[in-house]
Amino acid sequence: MSKALTSLPLISRIRFRDAGTLVGLILIAIVFSFLSPSFLTLPNLVNILQQSSINACIALGMTLVIISGGIDLSVGPVAALSATLGAAMMVAGVPVPLAVLGAIATGVACGFFNGALIAWGGLQPFIVTLGGLSLYRALALIYTGGTPIFGLPGEFRAIANGTLLGLPGPVIAVGVLAFVAWVILTKTPLGEYLMAVGGNPEAARVAGVPVTLTKLSAYMISGGLASIASLILIGRLGAAEPTLGNLWELDAIAASAIGGASLMGGRGSIVGTLIGCVILGALRNGLTLLNVQAFYQLLATGIIIIVAMLIDRATSGK
Amino acid sequence: MTSDPLARLHLTGVTKSYGPIQVLHGVSLRIAPGEVHGLLGENGAGKSTLLNVLCGVVTHDGGVIEVDGAPVQITRPKDAAAAGIAMIHQELQQVPELTVAQNIFLGASLRRGALFVDHREQERAARRILAALDPDIDVTAPIRDLRVAQRQIVEIAKALRSKARVIAMDEPTSSLTPKEFERLVEVIRVLTAQGVSVIYVSHKMDEVYRLCQNATILRDGRFVTRVAIPETPLPRVIEHMVGRELAHAHHRSFATDRVMMEVRDLTRGRAVQGADLTLHKGEVLGIAGLVGSGRTELLRLIAGVDAPDRGSVTIEGTAVSGANPRARIRAGLGLVPEERKRDGIIRHRPVTANIGLPAMDKFTRAGLIRKGLLHKRSQALMREVNLRPFDVTRPIGSFSGGNQQKAIIGRWLAAGTRIYLFDEPTRGIDVGAKAEIYDLIEKLASEGCGILVVSSELPEVIRLSDRVLVMCEGRISGSLSADQISEANIARHAIPAG
Repeated sequence: MSKALTSLPLISRIRFRDAGTLVGLILIAIVFSFLSPSFLTLPNLVNILQQSSINACIALGMTLVIISGGIDLSVGPVAALSATLGAAMMVAGVPVPLAVLGAIATGVACGFFNGALIAWGGLQPFIVTLGGLSLYRALALIYTGGTPIFGLPGEFRAIANGTLLGLPGPVIAVGVLAFVAWVILTKTPLGEYLMAVGGNPEAARVAGVPVTLTKLSAYMISGGLASIASLILIGRLGAAEPTLGNLWELDAIAASAIGGASLMGGRGSIVGTLIGCVILGALRNGLTLLNVQAFYQLLATGIIIIVAMLIDRATSGK
Repeated sequence: MTSDPLARLHLTGVTKSYGPIQVLHGVSLRIAPGEVHGLLGENGAGKSTLLNVLCGVVTHDGGVIEVDGAPVQITRPKDAAAAGIAMIHQELQQVPELTVAQNIFLGASLRRGALFVDHREQERAARRILAALDPDIDVTAPIRDLRVAQRQIVEIAKALRSKARVIAMDEPTSSLTPKEFERLVEVIRVLTAQGVSVIYVSHKMDEVYRLCQNATILRDGRFVTRVAIPETPLPRVIEHMVGRELAHAHHRSFATDRVMMEVRDLTRGRAVQGADLTLHKGEVLGIAGLVGSGRTELLRLIAGVDAPDRGSVTIEGTAVSGANPRARIRAGLGLVPEERKRDGIIRHRPVTANIGLPAMDKFTRAGLIRKGLLHKRSQALMREVNLRPFDVTRPIGSFSGGNQQKAIIGRWLAAGTRIYLFDEPTRGIDVGAKAEIYDLIEKLASEGCGILVVSSELPEVIRLSDRVLVMCEGRISGSLSADQISEANIARHAIPAG
């Protein structure tokens, strides 16, 4: 913490951090708009939001988990498991709303399992969710026999592919979820508890914070959001693959970190995370427009993450 | 600028600002070789910043630092070490897993060839340095096996190893027993005999009068005066520190006969064995005893932070059980812990959030926190306890210890707590804030709250308590009524028999 910044009120400091992330996004946008005339057009901007929406959905939950002092490495496989179960239900003729609820319940249950081992079992989040990463993926593969589930009903696909007021369905859905997550983090006791538990678990307990329930909630929310992300994906693709969601956790962690979440816990911002997601999305989109090879796109992503952390360190952290 | 050849360390006009806030306004300090110099002031007076400037953690904006008459530039910790200035932090900066010798040579290991650490030579050298300080310390033992007092001496040995000519000690006795303090006095004698100067920062005035020849007093980041010790009388020194005279307060009792809380047979391992106590409405019940006698452990059991093996706690006639601080808080109980950083504050969160934490339901409507209400209530509470600086939106970690303590107490005031458990309520807190916290405890008692106070400082226990329980080796060994409370009686029960 640079001394000049510690003297500022925390609230304005967080906004200050979010503003910094936004400046990063604007810089990237300016660079690409010069390199490619089609970058800064309305259809392409909507496209970027659409491409970022799945990662954003995952990253919302990831941010809450990271703020609580944990990490959730299992989001990709949780997404795959709930997507395949939900898809199987739909194909078997279960009404779409029920199947959607079933898929989300699967994700929440996986989150509960992770959270229970961490909050009650006292195990380390990294290891528990690393185990979950293999476990849930294995369950999805075993359940499907490794083959994708095709033939999702049209009414379900219409949600993911439809638009409202010119915005794609997924963007609106994630926008609403992000608003809810923002309200939870900044306006509800759960948000305050997440910050407290991540900031200083022992002090939080002495102050009467329900530490176990707080941690549990974070992982359950993360699991639920992972399954919603997977529903968006299979709605667009029309099929549920048991291998979907590979490496989703890394993009979500990257977006949270770019947005100012501290992996030590206790700090993070929903607004920052969203901007972080759009930064990653805009970068990939812009490089694709410029016909840059996928290998170099990966390189750019890595550089952006590290540069963001260096700037963070230089401006706010010791 | 005239250089002073007689001074080991000479600071003139040192200034430091954090953004728009100036925290040091031209501070001066002069210390002779072999002198023990007190650096006094309330929390927030600028002592820590000045020490941080000296050891290169913080870069000062203006002013001159001279060592032995030669100006030195200190912008990094390395510069301070090169200038011969070492610091013994309140929280010792050591690697617990490494040995005493390895810690003494940390970052400056002796080599055999270019690659290998010469452990044998390091141990020999460490033993040589420690011989004069405390020959009982085993240089091959890992630091974690040492008592705090010994670790401190190892830290001093490290300073000597780096050829320090000025050693600054920040609250060195905050976790020492009286006996260990005597040992430290000896060590400081050894240092000064070698011509090393010592800057001694402490809130304990008896220590300052025992050790120092002179003292520099700071207030609000300004140099107030330099006084000779012990020629300057204590009330005068305190007046300089707080800028006003402290009213000498006597104990007032508000105790009633109505039972608020009963503790029966509370036991956890060997730490607390069969503790019984009764707390009445309006009563301040002191708990005295040596460090390690089980006082803190008893409070933690009562507060539900740790789980007891057996025993019961009954609050206002209702039994509470299990290790569940939340249930105790609902029953009207609140713990003000000794280890503020570890068990008290959520460092990055504003004062308001730290205050609202235990009683979120009081500040919540329809699931949403009423931030405006929380802010207003926090401001009202913090105005009452005189929070400085008065800004409840600042992260609590940016406040001094005394002000953090006020916020932690404010947390329980906001929750409507009726039973307060204070563990070392004034540890690391300056004289002015101390008096404020005593007043606050008295006020709570006058309003009919029940209060348990654990303290190592006998004058504090005597000043505050209506009754005193003394603990010894995990048991309550004595109970003193108002007319029996005295240092001698407490000491008699505190020391193990035989």
